[in-house]
Amino acid sequence: MSEQQLVAILPHILLSAAILVQMMVIAFARNLRTTITVSIIALIATGLAFIPVYSLIPINVTPLIILDGYAIFYSGLILMSTLAVTLMAYDYFKDRGENQDEFFLLLLLATLGALVLVCSSHFASFILGLELLGVSIYTMISYPQKGLLTLEAALKYLILSGVSSTFLLFGAALIYAISGNLQFAELAPVALVTQGAGELFLTAGSALIFAGIMFKLSLTPFHMWTPDVYEGAPAPVTAFIATVSKGAIFAVTLRLFSSSNLIEVPAILTGLSVVAILSMLVGNLLALKQDNVKRILAYSSIAHLGYLMVAFIAAGMIGGKVLAVEASSYFLFAYFITTLGAFGVVTIVSLGNQEMDAGDISNYEGLFWRRPMLAIMFTLTLLSLAGIPLTVGFIGKFYIFTVGVTTMLWLLLSVVIIGSGIGLFYYLRIIFAMTKRTEVNAPEIKIPIAGGCVMATITLATLFFGLYPTPIINLINSLVLSIT
Amino acid sequence: MEAVVIPMEHGLALAAVLFSIGLVGVMVRRNIILILMSVEVMLNACGLAFIVAGARWSEPDGQIMFMLILSIAAAEVAVGLGLLLQIHRRVGSIDVDETSRLRG
Repeated sequence: MSEQQLVAILPHILLSAAILVQMMVIAFARNLRTTITVSIIALIATGLAFIPVYSLIPINVTPLIILDGYAIFYSGLILMSTLAVTLMAYDYFKDRGENQDEFFLLLLLATLGALVLVCSSHFASFILGLELLGVSIYTMISYPQKGLLTLEAALKYLILSGVSSTFLLFGAALIYAISGNLQFAELAPVALVTQGAGELFLTAGSALIFAGIMFKLSLTPFHMWTPDVYEGAPAPVTAFIATVSKGAIFAVTLRLFSSSNLIEVPAILTGLSVVAILSMLVGNLLALKQDNVKRILAYSSIAHLGYLMVAFIAAGMIGGKVLAVEASSYFLFAYFITTLGAFGVVTIVSLGNQEMDAGDISNYEGLFWRRPMLAIMFTLTLLSLAGIPLTVGFIGKFYIFTVGVTTMLWLLLSVVIIGSGIGLFYYLRIIFAMTKRTEVNAPEIKIPIAGGCVMATITLATLFFGLYPTPIINLINSLVLSIT
Repeated sequence: MEAVVIPMEHGLALAAVLFSIGLVGVMVRRNIILILMSVEVMLNACGLAFIVAGARWSEPDGQIMFMLILSIAAAEVAVGLGLLLQIHRRVGSIDVDETSRLRG
């Protein structure tokens, strides 16, 4: 391995070293403040280590890992979200008894998995990253150990995620059988095979891979686990699953399918369109009859991943790739910010309640009168999820529209419009509940310092990038388009 | 004497059958241990498929993927059994229907 390659994977090495340090710190000096400091320093150092990498890109480190602008953009997004989740989790866990330190160890491990995922260019590193992320998340879901709900959510996620990994592996094995290659980029010539057994293997293999990925991205018809896991998991962990886990898996999927040309297989595109339409409809319609904010957000995330799939499909159309990659990157950026904001509020409202997270909508009634700042922040993130102008979510959705119009996906676009219309209803329902004047003697909500700072940053970012998205668009143009 | 070579398709068919058995097991079984075992069967079916595919190209890659799958399976089951112990301690049962509280 050359010197340059060592520099290129310096972020991963640093994060791995930090995980070992964290383990030692927990073993010898168990103290939540120390643990959290080590975590934050590790995340920032890993982020800074990407600066020297920038001058080397694109660079392959062994056939397994590739570092390019695309990887750097998503790594940055992941590290920032993890930082936000770390601070939220600190508030959440600090008053919940002893032995909360290992949670932050697991969080760093999951982040390492996500970083490996966005850099992977080979099925082996894909699976490795996926499982590093997945196994850490199972443990994180069941971490609070209070009540049966978290355990059940964790077990459900474990079994379904295990099954989906086997789908992915079997698909990869079929593609390997026909192509003799496990590296994404070298699959490209094989994707053009259109006759005999080769085509069968190829279609079956990519369909199986996609089924596995659909589980992880919670796309219909494999979305069943999402509301249960979102409800059962602690709020910061839900935020992590909704953003980092899904974002990293989407990033590697886009890389796999665009660098191997598998996305241009016609059967795959048709299947994907059906999946996208179903996700948008099912997600939005089922959200209507929920009374639990966490479940509403779960269904809304199913719908959002459906919108994202529109950009993904456009990447497979002629002339759509560049714009589609740009659109999906911006959409994911917006989705990350708003989802973190929404679950940040849920975390803060849940702080007073040790037994269960404040999921039920009645916990939010009258929030405008009790905690106006918090309610305004929540309103903003909900409006951003709904795609109202002046928020970052609007620009994200606008991008999806643009890319859909350019590639003439009229059917998908009409479903996006219908879905957004339905979506407005259940977001507004939460907002109306917050304005209700009630005389309930709800527990007082204290806004913690760390969580308050995170929320303030997120709110500002929601507004700022909604009004002035140019910096992010320029960043995306200079980094992300390297995979097209 | 000429060596008999098993065609790749046969090996893959066997793997596919094993995979289906595992999948049916996950969906039909109510006992959590048996569900975890079924997931294991599915993972091993993938391993077999990789080995067969690797043999076709006479490369070691397939076998290396199998080793990777083995370690993944071990990690998954370790966490799964840990959760199972906790659930058994709380509910006194490892039947999925009796432990189910969430609506899903």
